[in-house]
Amino acid sequence: MDRRDFLKLAGAASAAGLAPDVLWAAGQQQSNGQRPRQRKLVLVRLKGGNDGLNTLIPHFDYEKYKSLRPNISMPHHKKKIDQRVLGDSGMSMNPYMDKLRPWWKANDMAWIQGVGYPRPILSHFESGDVWDMATRSGQSNKGWLAHILPSYQKNLHGIVLGDELGPMAGKDCYAIAMKSPEVFVSQAELFEGAQVHKKVNNPALAHLTRIQSQVMGASDEMIAKMTNPRQVGQGFANSKLGRQLESVAKMIINGVSAPVYMVELDGFDTHANQVNLQNHNLSYLADALDSFATAMKRHGHWDDVLVMTYSEFGRRVAENRGGGTDHGAASVQLVMGGKVNGGVYGSKPDLHRLDEQGNLRMTTDFRKVYSTITQRWLRQRNPWAQYGTLPFV
Amino acid sequence: MNELTFGEARHLTVRTGLGAEWGSIKKLEGLPRERAIEYILNPAPSNTRPVPYLTPWNKLEPMRDAGAKTRADAWVMAQKEGQRLQGWWIEQLFRTNTPLVERMTLFWHNYFTSSIQKTLQPSLLHQQNLMLRKHALGNFRNLLRAVARDPAMLVYLDGYKNVKAEPNENFARELLELFTLGHGNYTQNDVEAAAKAFTGWGVHPRSGKFHISGEHHDGSRKLFLRRAGNFTGDDIIEILLQNPRTAERVTEKFWKAFISDINPPRQTVVQWANHFRNSNYDIKTLMRVMLNSDEFWSERFRGTLVKSPVDLLIGTIRTIPYPRENTTKMVNLCRLLGQKLFDPPNVKGWEGGDHWISTQTLLVRASYLAKISRGNLNIRVKTGPHIRAKNNEEMLEWLLAVPPLNKLPETPGKRRLAHALLKDPAFQVT
Repeated sequence: MDRRDFLKLAGAASAAGLAPDVLWAAGQQQSNGQRPRQRKLVLVRLKGGNDGLNTLIPHFDYEKYKSLRPNISMPHHKKKIDQRVLGDSGMSMNPYMDKLRPWWKANDMAWIQGVGYPRPILSHFESGDVWDMATRSGQSNKGWLAHILPSYQKNLHGIVLGDELGPMAGKDCYAIAMKSPEVFVSQAELFEGAQVHKKVNNPALAHLTRIQSQVMGASDEMIAKMTNPRQVGQGFANSKLGRQLESVAKMIINGVSAPVYMVELDGFDTHANQVNLQNHNLSYLADALDSFATAMKRHGHWDDVLVMTYSEFGRRVAENRGGGTDHGAASVQLVMGGKVNGGVYGSKPDLHRLDEQGNLRMTTDFRKVYSTITQRWLRQRNPWAQYGTLPFV
Repeated sequence: MNELTFGEARHLTVRTGLGAEWGSIKKLEGLPRERAIEYILNPAPSNTRPVPYLTPWNKLEPMRDAGAKTRADAWVMAQKEGQRLQGWWIEQLFRTNTPLVERMTLFWHNYFTSSIQKTLQPSLLHQQNLMLRKHALGNFRNLLRAVARDPAMLVYLDGYKNVKAEPNENFARELLELFTLGHGNYTQNDVEAAAKAFTGWGVHPRSGKFHISGEHHDGSRKLFLRRAGNFTGDDIIEILLQNPRTAERVTEKFWKAFISDINPPRQTVVQWANHFRNSNYDIKTLMRVMLNSDEFWSERFRGTLVKSPVDLLIGTIRTIPYPRENTTKMVNLCRLLGQKLFDPPNVKGWEGGDHWISTQTLLVRASYLAKISRGNLNIRVKTGPHIRAKNNEEMLEWLLAVPPLNKLPETPGKRRLAHALLKDPAFQVT
């Protein structure tokens, strides 16, 4: 009888005896309900560098905005921008994100503006590393979440629907990158027939077998929880991001133990034809987040999740000749969740005092956002305490 | 008699080459150890493949100062050509007759890192690769002097911005911290003095070649590592070569690349480093000392190195001629496994060892090995790869450095056994 057959017959708890890591997860599952609910973080990476100024439009300084972006500013006409001012923030949400307006009204959604870091780097890769590692590029291979998650829980730390572990990279973090739970389980079958290696003296082999048993453990958990899973029971935004977030919703609803999930929406590198590209992308984002929030609410998980978007950088304030914008610096981040304190945080963008390259100056260090999540949401020892926190959650 | 057994010939082949090449093992088997080592150390010269077109520096560089659109074009060109350059090295690794030279070039690439991403100059990285290749088994002094003059390095560590009026410490700092002494053996004042000595060393804006500008050189007196003088960059290099830490550092890196991820005994490092320094920094001498050492042959260190992505992806095909993936796919697999050639993650290079293995990379590794070795194991096909090992014992000894952890398949068949061994965790180590 092979491992999987055994698993099917015996159920997850006894199969756990084969892979010690799973036992803990199973135990946690059974006592669910008695212990406090696990708080989860869902990261949405907007790949390519999302333009903050056309996401949250500076209604309070519209003329200046319009003068810097004669061809790509969001149009004022039909009062589109006027009607979408968020509270007294002076900022308007892009009309293609209207699906999220109910969540804004319910106080379940907040924006943080002016987010960036000092001496901005304009390379996708290097700036992406800065965001993932929370250090200057090249100074660390350890993702920012890898500093926090090992003490948050012992078992599976996170699941990335994509191919890079990003903020969960590093030896101490137990995270899995997968296309989908289904594809992952079938890939993990490659290790089928692997013996359980009790004690290996060779440290290289010991590391390999430990990682292999992590993969198998995660695969066992997926099989246990995602075979005949509870369905989300609603329509979901029909886009790649929508399907990814549906997968995340399904995992959360079915009690997968990972506290962090990460999905990705590509296509924000809008050097040309920005208005169409970005508006479409933002509507994919809004539709998918709306479906996700609805599903979480419907299944009683909305208070357990915090959704956060991030992107490697914002874009140049002035438009270029191609109807687009080049790589920039400070941008905006969106957070959502039942426990979120709605509002717009951080200072308004100052279009009159740009940096030497014509980029927005950062007014909120991104590590302040990490600090907030660490301290106020995950309640962990906070390596970024010096940056303070924001009351968005 | 110390004639190499099959297993020892395999060990020498694998640790100094790319994969357990049957031909090489058979050539070394039965030779006295010293002769086998000399055979490895003195390969017949072989050519590098012709390089694809790479836009020269003096065309690409001005594009960056010519407005946003042209700058974006330059960026796109650099990305495309960067991938071409990665493909070039991958093919070179696949086809070379001198795997030791490739391995040493990769070793120095990881020692003196530079990246196509920061420099955005693939043609300079190609030149650097040829330079590393030339000195790969030559003299470390010459290598270090060439690195300090290398245009890609001058851009990568901002040496070309290091001028008298505004010294830039980046290269000087890494020279002390990573290339020679190591952290804790110098002060910030030493970094500043070294930076001054290298002022004016740059890249000629038109030719893209190394160039010293007298006007930007700071010829003043410097105090460096408790010595005073009007030092130039080469003087700094000489002083660093007189410090025993430099040879020790190279030795430590050799150990991690060729012997084990387990830390070396201090005594061994000192001893090998002495040989290295006394040979006037002859790299081949250090290699010879290492290959003749008890540590190299010790059972204790067998299988304690995790195969690098290059070793796994290319070495496996050089071991068994399975149908291989095309160049683009190989470039992508290297990326997924965390070893983008010409684009190490940072100036420290790839950490290697355990760091190669995460849940993500292990799955990619396993999928790759399963895919290339799968075939239809139940059909006898003439087209399957020819497996030379004559029986199961020899298969195990050939393909694995340490005994397998998994159970062997009960159904007989060489291709089935090879498939099973490739899936074993033991295949990931060397």
